[in-house]
Amino acid sequence: MKNLLLNSFIVILLSSCSLGQYGKLKKTASTPESIPHSIFGENFNSFLFKTNIRVYGKEYSGLLVTKQMEANDYRVIFTTELGMKLFDFQFKDTLFTLHYCVPQFNRAALLNTIQKDIEVLLMNNIKTHPSSSYIDSKQTQNITKIDFGKYQNYYFKNVQSKELVKIEQAKKSRKKTTFILSNYTDGFPNYILIKHHDIKLKIELNLLKK
Amino acid sequence: MNKFTTLFFSLLFSSIFAQVPVGYKSVKETESFKQKMEEQSKLINTIESDFTQEKYLSVMSEKIITKGHFLFKKVNMLRWEYTEPLKYLIAINKDKMFIKDNGKVSKYDINSNKMFKSINEMMMSTVNGTLLNNKDYQPNYFENDKLYLIELTPLQKGAKDFLKVIQLYVQKTDYAVVKVKMIEPGDDYTTIEFTNRKTNQTIGDEKFIVK
Repeated sequence: MKNLLLNSFIVILLSSCSLGQYGKLKKTASTPESIPHSIFGENFNSFLFKTNIRVYGKEYSGLLVTKQMEANDYRVIFTTELGMKLFDFQFKDTLFTLHYCVPQFNRAALLNTIQKDIEVLLMNNIKTHPSSSYIDSKQTQNITKIDFGKYQNYYFKNVQSKELVKIEQAKKSRKKTTFILSNYTDGFPNYILIKHHDIKLKIELNLLKK
Repeated sequence: MNKFTTLFFSLLFSSIFAQVPVGYKSVKETESFKQKMEEQSKLINTIESDFTQEKYLSVMSEKIITKGHFLFKKVNMLRWEYTEPLKYLIAINKDKMFIKDNGKVSKYDINSNKMFKSINEMMMSTVNGTLLNNKDYQPNYFENDKLYLIELTPLQKGAKDFLKVIQLYVQKTDYAVVKVKMIEPGDDYTTIEFTNRKTNQTIGDEKFIVK
């Protein structure tokens, strides 16, 4: 009984923390610069990442390549180190096409989650959704909230370096997924970590070539 | 000649011509070639080589190039190590398979996983040249002045889904596999080229155990 009470207390404490986490942010005026830009830019380059996907104890490792084909049109292909193609995605505006997928990966829940995560990084059509701007209490990070209806994305930009260092995806102010972008060189993060809080899924992207 | 005979002959010849890769002709004495290949592989106990792997993705007109080093020792020991631009190592030691990724070592029992088992068979038989006798592939033999080209078409449904054909390029001087090309149904492909090949040098068993 004592344990049950203690557990309930911890659960209430934790949930109230997560509910209130964005409440401390101070609203600021929105400027055109506050709308985040895709880290992949508009230069039709390709990016190659060593990638590890850990899902419920299973691990997939390989090479992920992204390439912008046209404006708002990206192709994202994941292969094993030995060259076997695991999936081939296309993101064109709001349209998603699954061109190929090996049977081991072809599980709707997993594919759908990875697709949504990549969409967050690509930032196609981000400008069409309502946004608001904030600054944290220490005044070190500018935060832009984009409202996608069902969920909201918070983009954290370092005030000094102007680098996008974190994206948090929240549902009813409750944190669902965190994207950490770090080790920037020439305006591009060498390391991206995607961590889900409600399912056991972690994706790590280490930049090999751009 | 009636319409059907013409059609039959044109189809027959077009399929024959389509099968022979440009710059090659069919090997007449396939049995003696296979025998030679087997004799040569029997003389080899170890192989050490560098490799360059190119993955071609047609939609992106992009090549992913990775490089590394490989070791092979009879029987059933293989070390396949990527050094550029990533560090990734696969080692096979009889029925055990090791993968070292990001400094973390994972150990697997090859027989416990169908995929590992087929990776093992594929890698070993490519190196050994025994892939030619594998009943799961239909072989076709071609040659030019310097090389034999063996095309292996998978017959099993599972393999056909992700592999259209495997091409093995074999040097005529010493029957060494110098290049492997794996073509997928959508015509994306992976090539692996072997360079600085040394055979029958001493390689310690410890190279095939990863800690």
